[in-house]
Amino acid sequence: MLELLEALLFSTLDAAPALIFAALGGVLSERAGVVNVGVEGQMRAGAFCAAVAALFMPTPLGVVLGMLAGAGLAAIHGYLSIRWRSDQVVSGMAINLVALAGGTFLLESLYSPNGTPAIEQLPRWTLPLIHGVPLLGALSEHSGMTYLALVLPFVFHAVLTHTPIGLRLRAVGEKPHAVATLGLSVQGLRWGAVLGGGLLAGLGGAVLSTAVLDRFEQHTPAGLGFMALAAMVFGRWTPLGAFGAASFFAFGNALRIGLASSAPGILEFIPQGFLLALPYLLTLILLAVQGQRSSAPAALGTPYEQESR
Amino acid sequence: MSLEIRAGELLALVGENGAGKSSLMNVLYGLYHPDEGDILLDGQPVRFKSPRDAIARGIGMVHQHFMLVPTLTVAENVVLGREPTRWGRLDLERACAEVTATCQRFGFQLDPRARVDTLTVGSQQKVEIVKALHRGAKVLILDEPTAVLTPQEAEDLFRVARGLKEQGHTVVFISHKLREVLSVAERIAVMRRGALVAEVKAAETHVAELANLMVGESRPGQGTVEPYQPPTGEVLLEALALKALGEDGRAVLDGVTLTVHAGEIVGIAGVDGNGQRELAEVITGLRPLAEGQGTLLNRPLSALSPDEARRRGVSHVPEDRLRRAVVKDMSVEENMALGRQGHPPFARGPWLDFAGRRERTQKLLGAYDVRPPDPLLPVQALSGGNQQKVVVARELDSQPKLLVVVQPTRGLDISAVAQVHARLREERARGVGVLLISLDLEEVLTMSDRVYVLFEGKVTGTFTRPEFDEREIGRRMTCAEPAHG
Amino acid sequence: MGERWRAAVPSILSVALALVVCWIAIALTRDTEVASNAYLQMLYGGIGQWPRYLDGGDLAVIVRPLGEAASKAALLILTGLSVAVAFKAGLFNIGAQGQMVVGALAAAVVGAQLSAHALLHLPLALLAAAVAGALWALIAAALKLWRGVHEVISTIMLNWVAVTLVDNWLVVGPLRPTVTGGHSVSGTAEIFPTAHLPRLLGDISRMNLGFPMALAVAAFVWAWLIRTRRGFETRAAGLGPEAARAAGIPVKQRMAEAMGLAGALAGLAGAVLVLGTEFRYPGVLGAPYGFDGIAISLIGNNNPLGVTITALFFGALRAGGTRMQLLGVHKSFPELIQGLALLFVAGRLVWLALLRRRRTQPASAEVPRA
Repeated sequence: MLELLEALLFSTLDAAPALIFAALGGVLSERAGVVNVGVEGQMRAGAFCAAVAALFMPTPLGVVLGMLAGAGLAAIHGYLSIRWRSDQVVSGMAINLVALAGGTFLLESLYSPNGTPAIEQLPRWTLPLIHGVPLLGALSEHSGMTYLALVLPFVFHAVLTHTPIGLRLRAVGEKPHAVATLGLSVQGLRWGAVLGGGLLAGLGGAVLSTAVLDRFEQHTPAGLGFMALAAMVFGRWTPLGAFGAASFFAFGNALRIGLASSAPGILEFIPQGFLLALPYLLTLILLAVQGQRSSAPAALGTPYEQESR
Repeated sequence: MSLEIRAGELLALVGENGAGKSSLMNVLYGLYHPDEGDILLDGQPVRFKSPRDAIARGIGMVHQHFMLVPTLTVAENVVLGREPTRWGRLDLERACAEVTATCQRFGFQLDPRARVDTLTVGSQQKVEIVKALHRGAKVLILDEPTAVLTPQEAEDLFRVARGLKEQGHTVVFISHKLREVLSVAERIAVMRRGALVAEVKAAETHVAELANLMVGESRPGQGTVEPYQPPTGEVLLEALALKALGEDGRAVLDGVTLTVHAGEIVGIAGVDGNGQRELAEVITGLRPLAEGQGTLLNRPLSALSPDEARRRGVSHVPEDRLRRAVVKDMSVEENMALGRQGHPPFARGPWLDFAGRRERTQKLLGAYDVRPPDPLLPVQALSGGNQQKVVVARELDSQPKLLVVVQPTRGLDISAVAQVHARLREERARGVGVLLISLDLEEVLTMSDRVYVLFEGKVTGTFTRPEFDEREIGRRMTCAEPAHG
Repeated sequence: MGERWRAAVPSILSVALALVVCWIAIALTRDTEVASNAYLQMLYGGIGQWPRYLDGGDLAVIVRPLGEAASKAALLILTGLSVAVAFKAGLFNIGAQGQMVVGALAAAVVGAQLSAHALLHLPLALLAAAVAGALWALIAAALKLWRGVHEVISTIMLNWVAVTLVDNWLVVGPLRPTVTGGHSVSGTAEIFPTAHLPRLLGDISRMNLGFPMALAVAAFVWAWLIRTRRGFETRAAGLGPEAARAAGIPVKQRMAEAMGLAGALAGLAGAVLVLGTEFRYPGVLGAPYGFDGIAISLIGNNNPLGVTITALFFGALRAGGTRMQLLGVHKSFPELIQGLALLFVAGRLVWLALLRRRRTQPASAEVPRA
């Protein structure tokens, strides 16, 4: 039993970081008031570039390039939605479609339709003290990304609640005009948040292809970006909430996979489809029960215009 | 125009709506740029490119609509943009201490840790003032500061203002509430039509004189004064003690009783924001009635929907044209059909009648001299005056029994104004009851047979045409006194 | 009419630019000859090999590609209309994919579980799909109108709920066909021939009734939006909800109706896929036609005519995509063109600003009265 739980925890910790990073990217962008439905596309770009780069250079460098790729797509989103105030949902969806088809095209023309060649995965760290300890041992033998994913939400939370820049970010997502009358740059803050969100989503994608798998596959990230959005909403647009939701969703997923291989009998009673739909169903139920206004940033999705009077 | 603001004084700037008070102050705060003329600060000419420059020079402004982030605390709002830090960390302790210190210095009572959206409106305003003071403002401009306050909160604000003055600050009130202005300001500058018409010492004047200065000397009635006949037509609208709530839950209409007969123009006079807009919304079914009752065209006024109001024969020329009167991306002819989209000649059964619509639109465009008379143009491509002509044409064309018009001539040139006024008189002659709501007192007085004065959601006076007295009406518009008319 | 053309200019430019960029992409990864050749094959695959036919070739070299293009276009028309109709009411329907999945399943169930005369069976299957899609979309409308939940969030969630529940539970569980022969199939049981959308050109082309049906539906949507009072009220509610309310239009009701119709259209797309080409709900409904609908609608300026033209164009491109595989270019290549075109349409403000810089614009004539 304990072993089973440990295995479950282990696979959760392996799979969760991608979801956590992407959800945090969504939180960062949306807390500043810019809708980010392009997380899926940014993840795909990050995953692809990281895998391709890792063919030529050390994998960690590839991960950095993956992050930059995510930020690159986010920059397009930012240019259209901040600079030109076009519809944030449209440009986000456009990014998704371009990344989906563009990834397939590049993959096919550079390698094979199914995936890139295998790369060297990010190294896994053996934690000396707890390695082999029952249950706690699940914490060992992960890539650095897992540990980063366990720390980053708290850092993000601290920055958002306890630093000047965090205060300004929160303010700009709630009431940009108040920020502008104090002589701060609304555009600058939003640009920062969108690019930061792209870096994080790119990192989430890079983790998929360099730590979870050892290559970029045709369908990566296969909807994980949308699950990250669900985690963001379920976590009420807070870093710790999104972290909790993403971890919970990842655990559910690990449980499903675990059950499928070790106890398929249970899945006769609880079909896999239910477990897969759970993150989205829970998010919908939460929204239905408490409405959206209570937690979403007030200025989310509204382009900022300087002369609005 | 020139205005001198001295250090350490309490100045009030009064004037009717549109007299140019707010524009002047926005120039001082760097939001607008003057076409001509200079701003001298301590004898030195300065140029404010943005509010940031104004803030740096010690000018602070409290906008009528607060610029606060509702989800942040008082202290966070105050220090936003110039946050105290320790090791890069936001030092909330120090922020709170600073804010508390500022509050104490100026005699405010605010909890720096309270979230702004939990505060009363009066306290939120104090947060705005503290925000300005915290940035070192020596000159504080308050734009219509008491518009949103209860009398007690307003009294508190005046106390604060006097305290600021004692400490050498300058406070500029922009207001049109004369009684309040007299009780707090030392010097009063009166503006009319973009110009400074008088500067008086508060101690040497009284409400009646100020009201007089504000609206101008009583002008002789324009053209022939029509004889007044008491209304004899059937009662179209009878409202008894109407009460309606604003978005913030405060009563915006508070016991309004009025009647409109067929064949008369009833004017509503009042300064902006005293419940006129909401009165029009209640009568046209756009705002639910909280209390009170009445009959509108022989049926109850309660639970009225916009659709039902139109079916009974109420037409509405709303104030906020682009938001409420027209769909700006739709064509002129489509806007002509709005509100009557299901009736001939705009529709035949479930189908739109394009030919009928086109024909009627062209007829109306001609009759009202809309330029360009192109039924296919999107309405937003027309000038404001021509948009308004489209709206008036549409609303009159539906043969209403009761016509509710709000600010019907705002933004129109002289000939268009005359046209609209002539149309309203024609409607009256046809036996239509007209409820005319306007911020332009002159318009109300030249057009109306009877006038109700609204102040803070209450009727503070009723006048029939022979009793019209601009000074008296002006007084009723600016201070609450029991009606004795 | 000049107005209508001007409105189409950004879309046309965007598509042209996307075609150029994508050509360059192939030229860079392969070479210019392959790029040009690939485009030629895409053209042949989309609208037929006219040169070969004129040289005395079989009629099939034209009809077969055209049939393929038509079946792809039918799906794109329906999902594009789904998104466009919601847009007209001021709603952004990201959920066409989920509505399509639900509709496809409903069509597959009615087609396989019910036996009826062809005259009854096919309409019933189509109706079931439309109703299922509409109900699925109305969940989002209800959340929006009663709970203030933005429809973008709710429809994204509903997409994944639909996809996971259908693909990973219903199709592999309760609706899995009982294996009778030796071979097991993925997906639901095959539908009865009475529920098939009949082929129009016999065996030489896969074109079926779905295509003319989609065109008819587009005409219906156009008539509803442009020619009926209801449609007028819906457009007014979408463009100016406050003004519509003041004009006595029940804004919420019109929005809900539009969302329901949007769902029904996406559901029909699912039905056309199942009843016309797949004949069962396949194990996984891979094709993201619902997401394509977003691109089709926006490139087509959200109006029925524009959507139809755009869908025909990209339908042909997609049919041609399969031919590009001969040259080693992935068959999803047209989707890249479509995605880029959407991106350029999203950036049309950039275009318009560039174009406007040439002309001086008339100043607004609102003169405040002194």
